[in-house]
Amino acid sequence: MPNFPWLSSQDAPETGDASLAALLAGAEPAEGLAPGLQPLADALATLTARPASDELAGEAAALAEFQNRVGVPVPVSRSRHRRHPLLTPLLSVRAAAVAAVAALSLGGFATAAFAGALPAPAQQFAHHTFGAPADDGGQPTGTHPSSATTTPGGPDATGPAAFGLCTAWAHAKAHGTPSQQAVAFRNLAAAAGGASNVAAYCAAVPHPRASSSHTAHPTGPPASHPTPHATGKPSSHP
Amino acid sequence: MPAGWGTPGVPVPRWLNRCGRVAGLPILGHVIGDEFETVLAAAQGGSGEAFSRLWRDGNPALLRYLRVMVPGAAEDVAAETWVQVVRGLTAFRGDEQAWRGWLFTTARRRAFDERRRRMRRPVTSLAEVAPDRLPVCQDAADVAIEHLATRSVMALVAGLPAMQAEVILLRVVAGLDNETVARLTGRSPGAVRVAAHRGLRRLAQILAETGVTL
Repeated sequence: MPNFPWLSSQDAPETGDASLAALLAGAEPAEGLAPGLQPLADALATLTARPASDELAGEAAALAEFQNRVGVPVPVSRSRHRRHPLLTPLLSVRAAAVAAVAALSLGGFATAAFAGALPAPAQQFAHHTFGAPADDGGQPTGTHPSSATTTPGGPDATGPAAFGLCTAWAHAKAHGTPSQQAVAFRNLAAAAGGASNVAAYCAAVPHPRASSSHTAHPTGPPASHPTPHATGKPSSHP
Repeated sequence: MPAGWGTPGVPVPRWLNRCGRVAGLPILGHVIGDEFETVLAAAQGGSGEAFSRLWRDGNPALLRYLRVMVPGAAEDVAAETWVQVVRGLTAFRGDEQAWRGWLFTTARRRAFDERRRRMRRPVTSLAEVAPDRLPVCQDAADVAIEHLATRSVMALVAGLPAMQAEVILLRVVAGLDNETVARLTGRSPGAVRVAAHRGLRRLAQILAETGVTL
């Protein structure tokens, strides 16, 4: 076994230990790194190199699990007509639309997307923007369980606020950013009989003023595809 | 220990060092820091973006730890870990160090469960189990050069005695402090420190023996 004087316990063990302790903590040794320890320092730096794309590949699955568990709050049985305090003063149709856009969330949409329960075009959209499963025609549509049950508060999605809610939902879909769940969308899903039916439900909701029919999902450009960490090439090649 | 880089007489390629230098610039982003409380609270409140942040911060480190602990099953065990973490997410209280400690405690338990499962099952062939332990040679084309270097160092660490390897990974890759590692592994802080230092000295020795120079 070769002799490494800077590592031998006869010579200044405290110094050696101090350097090692610093390396373990991810810090520069205070007294500088002994030259013989440079390969070790390099090796530890390599161990903590930035993530490779295969180390970030499981995000969609983990996010889906998260949306199923934490993204959906526990349903509480209260009267469906009890209005959310923040939205109570704003319950004209137009105001509801504005408020819903402001307090937007795609929680129900994202959950349905990851369950593969959206209609085909929406499923493909979700697939391209945030990695939800691609539309598979043969898949059984699992309607998301809890969002269809009794939920408290929020604009009543069966009433005149439906149009506003549908507009907000379509707006959110076009921009494609999942965010926190709003009470309003749960009611929309409940009124539509399931998250997967929202698109059809919204298509049937008439514009409260205009005679022309309004399609509930304007097609907007999909949000930019989330890219994995660029691994790139190192500056030196073997 | 599988034959490969690090055993006497088998030289470590010179590019390992060069890649080690390049790869050393950006580190595993395992410190969210001041923002941690905000991110955690948002995730606990249901924010997918916040959860993704926590996930991206933790998963690469988890995988590297697990590739040494349960080679061949790292991805599965990591996924199981996140399932359990998601379940307990809203009840978690603590700072970033506590969070990472919990993450890796969970991963460690899952890893030991997996090992017990393996013991009961017929042993798979070494060719199936070994790839994560061997320095990446056969599938080099599939792996980015930078990451190849990481895998290679992981293979060296995997060749150390079990406790030394685990302690080094938990300190360096998981970013846990000595106290947390001691709690996690059920050893005294002194024993953890000794194991870590022994492991590092052994690593330094292997690197020197195989002729790695600057």
